[in-house]
Amino acid sequence: MDPSLVSLIGLAISIGIPILSAAVTIIICGTALAGIGTEKPELLSRLIITVVLGEALAIYGLLIAFMLLGKLPDITTMESANKALISGIIISVATVSAGAGISYSGSSLIAATAERPETFSSNVIGVVLSEALAIYGLLISFMVIGQI
Amino acid sequence: MFRDIKDYLLVTSYILKCIIKKDLPHEDDDMVEMQKLKVLVYEDYIDAVVRSLGHAGIVQFIDMREKPEDWEEVLVPHKGSNETIAKYSGLLSKIEAAFETLHIKPEDFPTPEIPITKEPTQKVLAAVEQKLAELPIEEAKIYALASRIDQIIDDLGIKPEQFDKENKLAQSEEMELEHIEFELIEIDKTIETTGLSNHPVLVERILAKHFDDLDEIGKKFAELSKFVIDSERYFGKRLVTLKKTVESIIGTIKTGINFEEIREDLLTLWTIAKEEKRIAEEKGKFVRSSKTVFFEAWVPESLEKEAVERIKNASDGNFIISDEFPDLDENVPILIKECPSYLQAFGKLECAYGRPSSGDIDPLRIFAITFPILFGIMFADVGQGAIFVIAGVIFTLLRRKGKLAKGGDIIQYLLISGEMLIYIGFSAIFFGFIFGEFFGPSGVLHPITLAQIGPFQIGGFEPTQEPMKMLKFAILVGAIHITIGLILRFLNELRHKHYKLAPIPICWIWLIFGSLFMWAYWGGISNISLWFAEGSLMLGGLIILPLMLIFVFVAVAEGFMVGVGFTVEVFAETLSHTMSYSRLMALGLIHSAMNYLFLVLGGVEHGVFPLQSIPLIAIGTILVLIIEGLVVFVHTLRLHWVEWFSTFHSGEGIPFKPFEST
Repeated sequence: MDPSLVSLIGLAISIGIPILSAAVTIIICGTALAGIGTEKPELLSRLIITVVLGEALAIYGLLIAFMLLGKLPDITTMESANKALISGIIISVATVSAGAGISYSGSSLIAATAERPETFSSNVIGVVLSEALAIYGLLISFMVIGQI
Repeated sequence: MFRDIKDYLLVTSYILKCIIKKDLPHEDDDMVEMQKLKVLVYEDYIDAVVRSLGHAGIVQFIDMREKPEDWEEVLVPHKGSNETIAKYSGLLSKIEAAFETLHIKPEDFPTPEIPITKEPTQKVLAAVEQKLAELPIEEAKIYALASRIDQIIDDLGIKPEQFDKENKLAQSEEMELEHIEFELIEIDKTIETTGLSNHPVLVERILAKHFDDLDEIGKKFAELSKFVIDSERYFGKRLVTLKKTVESIIGTIKTGINFEEIREDLLTLWTIAKEEKRIAEEKGKFVRSSKTVFFEAWVPESLEKEAVERIKNASDGNFIISDEFPDLDENVPILIKECPSYLQAFGKLECAYGRPSSGDIDPLRIFAITFPILFGIMFADVGQGAIFVIAGVIFTLLRRKGKLAKGGDIIQYLLISGEMLIYIGFSAIFFGFIFGEFFGPSGVLHPITLAQIGPFQIGGFEPTQEPMKMLKFAILVGAIHITIGLILRFLNELRHKHYKLAPIPICWIWLIFGSLFMWAYWGGISNISLWFAEGSLMLGGLIILPLMLIFVFVAVAEGFMVGVGFTVEVFAETLSHTMSYSRLMALGLIHSAMNYLFLVLGGVEHGVFPLQSIPLIAIGTILVLIIEGLVVFVHTLRLHWVEWFSTFHSGEGIPFKPFEST
């Protein structure tokens, strides 16, 4: 296969799938948040963290896509093209799993906080740890690009 | 030389003592002592005691039902208050019905002063019921109508003498009360829908002026106002008529009733009933024997004398009291202190997570330093930092002058965070100089190297050009940040006198910096095989030994299995929490890259901004400030809430809420 095509596919995956997972996360958490906002608007400023962390997933994809974009002229061999493709796949899988984690624990966090606001500080751990999954993927993906 | 060291040691030990001990002259103001009062009162006086304490609002009663193991063999829960609560609820609804009949809105009047009695609540209840039954509420109805008509006339600015001569409708003297009332309701409704009560001044002005003098718009306005004037004339007429009718009816009543007095009485009864109901509810927290009632309460040390004095007076000496310091592990309520206004935003962010437990160090001031630093690293930019500073100054000035006090939610948030924007703006400017960013990597500034610690370079590189250096820098910042948290944990353990657990944070710091050193010394994670070959001694000393020590300390203090679990947790957290700080790198790079995009679009090269690039860069800056600003803010918050607070800040503090009966 043509190295430039493979690396472009990697680029497309690295931006497309993180954006999709961010969208799904925001859809799930955002609707839950809107529901709670009608009952207890004073909690919104705290709970907005779920939506913003979902949004950050798209930003990680954007970062990898930017870096791949910068490397595109250097990709001439099949080996480096494969690295570009794999780095895109890594960040995609990482953000999809982080998105799943944030969606589930985020919407539960929102519901639980509405019932008992004092549980927020322990329940938020689930959301932020899910989000950390994306960071691990980002780091490795980043190092793979560094080797191109 | 020797003297220097001795002085230094003296000063250090003094500072440490100040932090650990609470009774030294320079005591930390955050430490407010709470005393636990244990009181046994003869049952006839318990109502008086609670009433007296509730008036002063100085103690917080402890709910005894939560720890039945302390009393259940000797005492029983305080029963019988449910019936009293129900009776008071009934009484309250009766009084409120009377308010309705007499058209009194209790919230419009000041709360009357009520005398503190020593009577038991049953007697108070009986007295209130009797007094209420004696009040001539039906008879006072007509007076209520009269005062209401007066009020409406007042509100509309109607002068009764204006209508005296036009009043030819005086035939309705026999009009029944109900009709008058019905008409008043109608008038009320109309006034509300036409907004007439807002117009008295306007009406007066228009009435006074000749319409001929007015210009075109003035005439139209006058035409529009005609309806208002007409309706005012109509209402004025009707109201004055009604007033006369009511007055003539009142004239026929022989018995003199003072409406003001009845209102005062009702308000007093209402206040008493509300207070007694609250007291009855509070008593549900107590326990009792056959003749005595026992309760526990938190009281700030400074108010203890007053509380004891009040209990003594209210119970005529029929009480037993003991005070004690709470256990070190007990969750004692904390007195909430006002945050200084320049730290208000940080205070809110900290409280959103949870307040520090009693006796813990309040990390607010350290939080207010580390928060802007982490934000600045991710948002490093001289130009955008300056925008933050300017916005912050504007918001702060607006807030100090009290403007926009009625703005929406978002405006309020911005106003509160005025000072915070200034701090994070300065931090962004500082790191902008270090990483050479001015509205992105535009080439205007050159990165400044601050220091070089082994492989960790602080500043002197552009993050987008050398991301690996940025990653190392981010990890170093993370290690330092977590270390600050662990030092606070160490001090907290000392303050709680958990001497067996105190060495754990120290070993943990050893582990973090040991691993960091290993990582740097052996050239990164890719050479990890060397750690176990040539570096095995170093591995033992820097990673395995502190882990073993942590295990030993926890196992000695809390048992073997807890020790195993905790050691595994420490190992995992050291890895994951430090790695988590790599988001400093990721978000810093994204910030730089997003700005770079607009720089390229605008055609900026080598620090020269062509004129046509300015609008593009302005749009880009606004986008970055809003979207990136929010994301970076949340990530900074998350680093503090999860990675930092989890090392030392439990967030389980309960604010001290004294019982207030009024």
